[in-house]
Amino acid sequence: MGKYEAGYFGEFGGRYAPEILTEALEELESTYRKLKKNKKFQNELNFYLKNYVGRPSPLTYAERLTKEWGGANIWLKREDLNHTGAHKINNAIGQALLAKHMGKKRIIAETGAGQHGLATATVGAMFGLETIIYMGAVDVKRQNLNAKKIEMLGAKILPVTSGEATLKEATSEAMRDWALNVKTTHYIVGSAIGPHPFPTIVRDLQSLIGKETKKQFKKATKQLPDAVVACVGGGSNAIGMFHDFVKDKKVKLYGAEAGGMGQKPGEHSATITFGKTGFLHGTKTLIIQDTNGQIVPAHSVSAGLDYPGVGPEHAYLSTSGRVEYRMVTDEEALASFLEITRLEGIIPALETAHAFHVAKDVAKKLGKKKHLVVCLSGRGDKDVVEVLRILGGGKHE
Amino acid sequence: MSKIKDYFANKTNKSVFVPFFTLGDPHYEASVKYGQTILDSGADILELGIPFSDPVADGPVIQRAVARALKNPFDFAKIFQTTKQIHSHKPDRPLVYLTYFNPIYHCGVASFLDQAKDSGVEGLVIPDLPFDTQESEDLFAALEKRDMDLIHLITPATTKRRVQALKKTSSGFIYYVTSFGVTGERREFSLDLEERIRSLKEILQLPICAGFGISSPEQASQIAHYADGIIIGSAIQRIIEESGADTVACCQKLSEYCLSIRNSFP
Repeated sequence: MGKYEAGYFGEFGGRYAPEILTEALEELESTYRKLKKNKKFQNELNFYLKNYVGRPSPLTYAERLTKEWGGANIWLKREDLNHTGAHKINNAIGQALLAKHMGKKRIIAETGAGQHGLATATVGAMFGLETIIYMGAVDVKRQNLNAKKIEMLGAKILPVTSGEATLKEATSEAMRDWALNVKTTHYIVGSAIGPHPFPTIVRDLQSLIGKETKKQFKKATKQLPDAVVACVGGGSNAIGMFHDFVKDKKVKLYGAEAGGMGQKPGEHSATITFGKTGFLHGTKTLIIQDTNGQIVPAHSVSAGLDYPGVGPEHAYLSTSGRVEYRMVTDEEALASFLEITRLEGIIPALETAHAFHVAKDVAKKLGKKKHLVVCLSGRGDKDVVEVLRILGGGKHE
Repeated sequence: MSKIKDYFANKTNKSVFVPFFTLGDPHYEASVKYGQTILDSGADILELGIPFSDPVADGPVIQRAVARALKNPFDFAKIFQTTKQIHSHKPDRPLVYLTYFNPIYHCGVASFLDQAKDSGVEGLVIPDLPFDTQESEDLFAALEKRDMDLIHLITPATTKRRVQALKKTSSGFIYYVTSFGVTGERREFSLDLEERIRSLKEILQLPICAGFGISSPEQASQIAHYADGIIIGSAIQRIIEESGADTVACCQKLSEYCLSIRNSFP
């Protein structure tokens, strides 16, 4: 191994955090390395995943979607059925246990759509840890239901008003809090982003999505799926889903990122399509930025995808060509949101709706007798009010 | 020998004054005046902030300064031109840039350093570029070639092992972060501050300048008894925030404040 290879995915990744955080990152890395191999810790984690989260989540055959789209058989990996309604809880439980093992009594997190904030507040309540959630003021408004739930769980929300007042600013503010309280606090990073070892820890904790999918799919069909699709903001559900399939070269992997309202800077969050290599929030990755290296505000109809960076492992999987990433516009995602809701009786998160748009196209091209799995990363209850606002209200208002 | 090293070797005061402010706040023309005024009012080494959209190591005062600066279209040519004008006012005083790594990376390291050197800059402080990265090693080598310095930050959380390890790629001086957290004015500092600074001086054989949280002449005076330099950012930036719209009045206030700090040194 070269001098600086730990924590890198190709040229991406690494640890580019302020010096004040380095000791905590090193402590986290060594604790995680030990606990990863510790059977007792793994049993403890699996206990909570089974008995609290409700894992394994089902793999559902989507009969009506398959018929309607007229192509490949569609399967849904149901992360929406987890406790708190999304994949975020897998990571929050794991990191809360890490925090406990490090003797930290306070946890903090950043959140966009609120699902990671909700998951963190939930584990904070369950393990009795003081919990602070940083959330952009804009997101507090557009994801008000989650904000209310977070407070009900006993966590404190600190709305961030700087900049665009969304996920990027919430992340910066959480890093500042961590710098001040690093001795007592663990920062539960919510996506596969941030300085090493976060992208690896989050990936590992989410990789059970892909592992379960593979096992369940093999049991149902005695083969591997032909394609797998997941949405990508920071990219934690996608990396969790892809990780175990990366070595299976015959399985095509697709990521769906937020194309927003257009292709001009500030109109989208399509980091892989338009991003350039750079350094943000402690990691080297693809970032939406201008020619002077200033970060450009990101936009997506989905607060969870509204981030100008992407996990470094996705940056690597994109440049290595193993995963194909496509943009999906706000309009396309909204259409998919309604289509899935009406055809399958499942209201998907707006984030996931992006993945469905890509899945529709891929399924049609794959044709019949092929199989495609969509990671249904979360449920869309949190998005209903925002969708109705955009679409001009519901029938019964 | 780098100009910074030379400056510390020949200083007549026990401790030097290293003020900081962000270029472009509220506009570049004002920055020239502020820089010149601060140099006239006792600054030994002047730290100039190149605004970056996401300053994670900075507290609210500097964050707001950066946001105001970035309301003007960001332009490296303007940054270098402004720096040059400040430098020409007192060419004997070393200038240092404080910024984050992303803008430097995008400018291109060699091109950035050549233009910075040409503008009168002698060293760099980059809070999000740890010494134990390939980029930092490469940057140190590129700076060394130009007789420029890479000024690393050391914090109360930095382990002895890391202090030893960063020796090889440190030059100019060490920016010692006096307390946990981000930049901003504070009332108290850790009790072992003096001991820590003295021990770092011995290990590193480099001047140690203390920063983060220092704002009053009393604090500066106390720490200047044992630190080689006092770095003050947020308190200066607050003056610019409050009076920056009126350049003449702001210069007056900056001058009074900087002199009060400089005159407090032993």
